[in-house]
Amino acid sequence: MSDWRERADASLDWLVDTSAVQRILVSLTSLAFAVLLGTVLVFVSGFVADCTDPFILLPGVGYGCYNPVEMYGTMFTGAFGSLTALGRTLQETTLLLFTGLSVAVAFRAGLFNIGTQGQLVLGALGAALTVLTLGERVPGNVLGALVVIPAGVVVGALVGGAWGAIPGVMKAYADAHEVITTIMLNFVATGIAFWAVQNHVGNLESDSVQTHAIPEIARLPASISGARFSIYALVGALAIAVAIYLLYTRTVLGYELRTSGIQETAAEYGGVNAKRNVVTSMTLSGALGGIAGAVYVMMVQYRWQAGIPALGFDGVAVSILASNNPLGVIPAALLFGGMKSGSVAVDLSLGVPNELVEVLRGLIILFIAMPEFFRALGKRAGYGAGGEAE
Amino acid sequence: MNAPTVSRRQGLALGAVLFGLFVFAFVVDGGRGLIGDVTGVVSASYLASAFRLTVPIAFAAMGGIFAEKSGVINIGLEGLLIIGAFGAVASLWGLSATPIGPNVWLAFLFAVLASTFVALLFAIVCIEFKADQIIAGLAVWLIALGFAPFASIVIWNQTNSPSVGTFSPIEIPVLSALPNVGSLFSVTPPVLLLVLAVPFSWYLLNHTPFGMWIEASGEDPKSLDTAGISVRHVRYAGVLLSGIYCGIGGAGLALNTGQFVGSGDTMVDGRGWIGLTAYLIGNYNPVNAFLASFLFAGLDALQLELQQIAGYDVSSTLVGIIPYVAVLIVLTLVGRTRMPAEAGEHYESDE
Repeated sequence: MSDWRERADASLDWLVDTSAVQRILVSLTSLAFAVLLGTVLVFVSGFVADCTDPFILLPGVGYGCYNPVEMYGTMFTGAFGSLTALGRTLQETTLLLFTGLSVAVAFRAGLFNIGTQGQLVLGALGAALTVLTLGERVPGNVLGALVVIPAGVVVGALVGGAWGAIPGVMKAYADAHEVITTIMLNFVATGIAFWAVQNHVGNLESDSVQTHAIPEIARLPASISGARFSIYALVGALAIAVAIYLLYTRTVLGYELRTSGIQETAAEYGGVNAKRNVVTSMTLSGALGGIAGAVYVMMVQYRWQAGIPALGFDGVAVSILASNNPLGVIPAALLFGGMKSGSVAVDLSLGVPNELVEVLRGLIILFIAMPEFFRALGKRAGYGAGGEAE
Repeated sequence: MNAPTVSRRQGLALGAVLFGLFVFAFVVDGGRGLIGDVTGVVSASYLASAFRLTVPIAFAAMGGIFAEKSGVINIGLEGLLIIGAFGAVASLWGLSATPIGPNVWLAFLFAVLASTFVALLFAIVCIEFKADQIIAGLAVWLIALGFAPFASIVIWNQTNSPSVGTFSPIEIPVLSALPNVGSLFSVTPPVLLLVLAVPFSWYLLNHTPFGMWIEASGEDPKSLDTAGISVRHVRYAGVLLSGIYCGIGGAGLALNTGQFVGSGDTMVDGRGWIGLTAYLIGNYNPVNAFLASFLFAGLDALQLELQQIAGYDVSSTLVGIIPYVAVLIVLTLVGRTRMPAEAGEHYESDE
């Protein structure tokens, strides 16, 4: 008899068993293949799209609008080419660090938390309402900011953590698989937040579903002009990445959290309360998702507004690309952040829809999920058995 | 097989939905008078609209059953529906520029082919490359969620397509002329296909050798292999069926309104996930999965009718989350669903 849990463990095993070098190779190769497929998609799409100055004419096929080489060039300059571009990239990177870490914390413990998005949406709402309420009651200076901003982050973490604890409890005590529950809870979270803002806590005069704008003192100060990016948030995210790394490698709790998710029976045998640890892992994961939401409100949007971007799903890609390593999440988030901010420039100047990044996100996840693909690739390249996984 | 579990599960599902309705009655202003109006809007045209809304959910659910019973968990149903919906509208739009003209049936066929092709890729990834089925299914969803609006913008310069045309309803002779219930017998082809597909799927699974192979492939692939049937082929068949079903469901959804909406969660808007909840609640039985789908679609239709006819200010958002809450309650109270023993496991033939 096997159920989804055992299966999930087995599937994570191959990532855990392979060496660090192999994992980096797998990530980079997946990225390369995803980009290659993305390039083909862009090139082919160029023949469907209409444009005034096509870059290529293939006899019998027609005019191609999109030049992939030019596109990647624009993507790079759009991400790192100027101080403002860098600011936008770092803004995305900061948010992706939080969501990537949220997913990684759960994956490390053998739990597929696909629910970061819902935790983020509710955490964002909690943070927005907190700073809106507190903002009126504190002085409008630095001291007020020092009260309001941490309060927003803490409430975001609490709300996200509580929402993350739900699938944790359902998993630990009712054996409901967390992939299903977290995906369903994403829809529930988005629905509840939308309804609450539309009918009760939002700006009811506004035509769009949104809260009032948060006060100035609750906004994280911009570190680079022209971009809503705050170095404080980035430093905080990096510190959390290191802290989580240390938690898992240097502390007993980290060890217990990992074994409880992956080897529940073994953990219980060793005197560990595995069920409670599953809940703890999911709560921690949810809290990070909630902080991502709080930072999104206080650094980027300055209010809760319907249609929060799918940063939680980006987090899944970031975490998988990083082999769920908290430190690996840092370069993975920077890479994704660069792709996201660069794709906006690509959309503006070349007309290639920035939804391309979403396609790449899915492709990266898909490639990393295929161990046999890399083994076959390894054999082709003449590396014998191509890795000792399995 | 495990009859008590089934009835208990269904009882709970029903209880959960009724509980949801109960809560919902309080949320609506003037909830008490609601019950009277609910009975007022339940008419033949309401049922017809509920049937149309059931199409994508029930087809996704039945497709998911075939895939998972054969041993491949396909959580990419939502993505396949998106491909089906987009494929139908894009094909119809493309066809209208050719000498063939806007042939709805041909567009429908192309949509099913597109969804089946993506399902084939998913099957190759899972069966040949031994991908993790959950992650690969998630990837299918995310890729489709990005690809459909991407392609919409490339083709139409915006995430929503223009109106391209719809299926015209088929009038069933005599019955459609009946007073009151006549509108039930003026059905669109996807609804007709659904009505045929439910008993067909049930029969295929329970009363044919193919159904037995699907069952064995998920429960006990070793015996199937010993009996000389290729587990690989059966699993391919299971996944491809889910692709065909989702193609029909997605195309049926899009050709009902005649437009593809690619913004947000696209026009599919979680219906693939609701399909997944429907077959979990229906315990892998196509008929029960259909009933669960119909229940969820019926709630959706009810909400629409209440707003339009009775003038209620019903929160469509809250009605929309009822299926998800229902499945969460069922999963929590019943615990794990009785899924096929070897679902998700890769099978190595000894040959």
